[in-house]
Amino acid sequence: MADLSFLGFLVLLLPLTLLLLLYLIVRPKPVRIPIKDRHVFITGGSSGIGLALAHQAAKEGARVSILARSGKKLEEAKQSIQLATGIEVATYSADVRDFDAVKTALDEAGPVDVLVVNQGVFVPGELEVQSLDEVRLMIDVNITGSFHMIKAALPLIKKRQNGGPASIALMSSQAGQVGIYGYTAYSASKFGLRGLAEALQQEVIADDIHVSLIFPPDTETPGLEEENKRRPRLTSIIAASSGAMKADEVAKKALDGIKSGSFIVPCNSEGFLLSIATAGLSPQRSVLMAFVEVVAAGLIRFVALCFQWNWYGSIEKWHARGKTGVNHADL
Amino acid sequence: MAALSFLGFLVLLLPLTLLLLLYLIVRPKPVRIPIKDRHVFITGGSSGIGLALAHQAAKEGARVSILARSGEKLEEAKQSIQLATGIEVATYSADVRDFDAVKTALDEAGPVDVLVVNQGVFVPGELEVQSLDEVRLMIDVNIIGSFHMIKAALPLIKKRQNGGPASIALMSSQAGQVGIYGYTGYSASKFGLRGLAEALQQEVIADDIHVSLIFPPDTETPGLEEENKRRPRLTSIIAASSGAMKADEVAKKALDGIKSGSFIVPCNSEGFLLSIATAGLSPQRSVLMAFVEVVAAGLIRFVALCFQWNWYGSIEKWHAQGKTGVNHADL
Repeated sequence: MADLSFLGFLVLLLPLTLLLLLYLIVRPKPVRIPIKDRHVFITGGSSGIGLALAHQAAKEGARVSILARSGKKLEEAKQSIQLATGIEVATYSADVRDFDAVKTALDEAGPVDVLVVNQGVFVPGELEVQSLDEVRLMIDVNITGSFHMIKAALPLIKKRQNGGPASIALMSSQAGQVGIYGYTAYSASKFGLRGLAEALQQEVIADDIHVSLIFPPDTETPGLEEENKRRPRLTSIIAASSGAMKADEVAKKALDGIKSGSFIVPCNSEGFLLSIATAGLSPQRSVLMAFVEVVAAGLIRFVALCFQWNWYGSIEKWHARGKTGVNHADL
Repeated sequence: MAALSFLGFLVLLLPLTLLLLLYLIVRPKPVRIPIKDRHVFITGGSSGIGLALAHQAAKEGARVSILARSGEKLEEAKQSIQLATGIEVATYSADVRDFDAVKTALDEAGPVDVLVVNQGVFVPGELEVQSLDEVRLMIDVNIIGSFHMIKAALPLIKKRQNGGPASIALMSSQAGQVGIYGYTGYSASKFGLRGLAEALQQEVIADDIHVSLIFPPDTETPGLEEENKRRPRLTSIIAASSGAMKADEVAKKALDGIKSGSFIVPCNSEGFLLSIATAGLSPQRSVLMAFVEVVAAGLIRFVALCFQWNWYGSIEKWHAQGKTGVNHADL
């Protein structure tokens, strides 16, 4: 009996020791990033998640600027926010692939407290059949465009009025946590944002700038409607492992994550599991999340392997069907 | 006492059950990919890791083709391999950023069994000061160039003589597993290769093509010499966490990984730990490695957090030193 009590004592002591150690080593330290009365600059802000973000940030009292390519859609977005919240957002028309245009827009907008690099395009397709123009488009807009935005904005973030912690938030995707059938280019572009973000955080932490990566699942936006017309069937089968969300819901999770200075911001429960699975060498600013990551890591890796077992099984079934015209799974 | 014996029995049973479950679910199944008498096509093959790969593949009896930009360096490489092994490799001059040139070279080279996408450029620097031309160069050569190579090669890999499992291997970097100070552009490009690879593997598995990602640390090559001249001091401090290797050693690990069809191929012991930490949603073809990943995941995440504690500490010390000219750590 004494042995069991001793074991019981150990079982309690281990997690407590782990929590204590994590409390001592977790870096960078946690931070809260207010947005009220601060300047929030959102790219891709005229539709989808960006527009929802603009709505919510404006409602919370931020001074909001949105950037997009189409002057017309910007005007519509501006009016819809005015109608819903009574607040006027500033609009800037530029293509993120054009660094000079982006620099001009930012210089006009002035010092920035929170930069949300949210623009993105996604065109699914097997690499074997996809046009390289589409591949280049995704890399240009999603990666190079993000580099342009951040490089142009850095001086303006450092010049922010009233100091305080600043944020650079990048809109990634669950496709930026796992690459699946049909997403070679899109996943390449979104995985790239993670490499950028991990390095960037080390470079800008001394300026009290905090980097966040948001990882939404399929989100009901005009972008998704377009994508669904082109999606290979196998992509839909595999992507169905994670549920879709509304733009408003994603925007709320994103803002919460930005305000708490979290490096990795998941948006739903599947995303939460994905974040633990792909924690990798990312910084973790919350002691509690760090604890969960360490304790659940092994189990979640096992779950991840189960997902691959399921996905590769689907792929095998699909091809077995295709080759003979018979769905072998139905036999 | 009985309780302890029972616990001891459980402690033995758990790992065995895990091993059994993993044996059942690990996908895709393991594969061996021979290179003797098969066509190995290596980009960036005139120097560094690519040249070492060409030497070793030739020595093992493969028919080797190397692609690079400079006709002169290709000729030197060809002669060095001829001298060392007596074997003649085919050479092709093209810039991977030019799809048509790459397609022409591959069509000339003929069906391919093993494609090694090894070209890469790396220019370190803080994003705030780095020229965007350098960022674009890394993205163009490392990501877009890789898309060009794979798209051009896919038809030729499917036409491979004598069938058998084929390989598409991508040269990543430990900077493609963790982003560190000074590596926003390079890490973005190398992380991108992972997204590409995870999706690509699902797309090509039905054609018996197997994707491998190689993750070397700093490797003593002409490329590294160039990079070291430009490296921010803080980058060197942080990168020193992983030791450097010789090109020959990296090439050996790479070839072993390719021949065993491994998806993630680390090159040294730090790389091995990094691979477990960043296993994420990658497929794992070895039951033993899957077991190690699941069992060690939690501990390795804790170790990863310790590294970030160390790195952010270095960054803090560095900036404290810089601002006052005094190294506060020495006080």
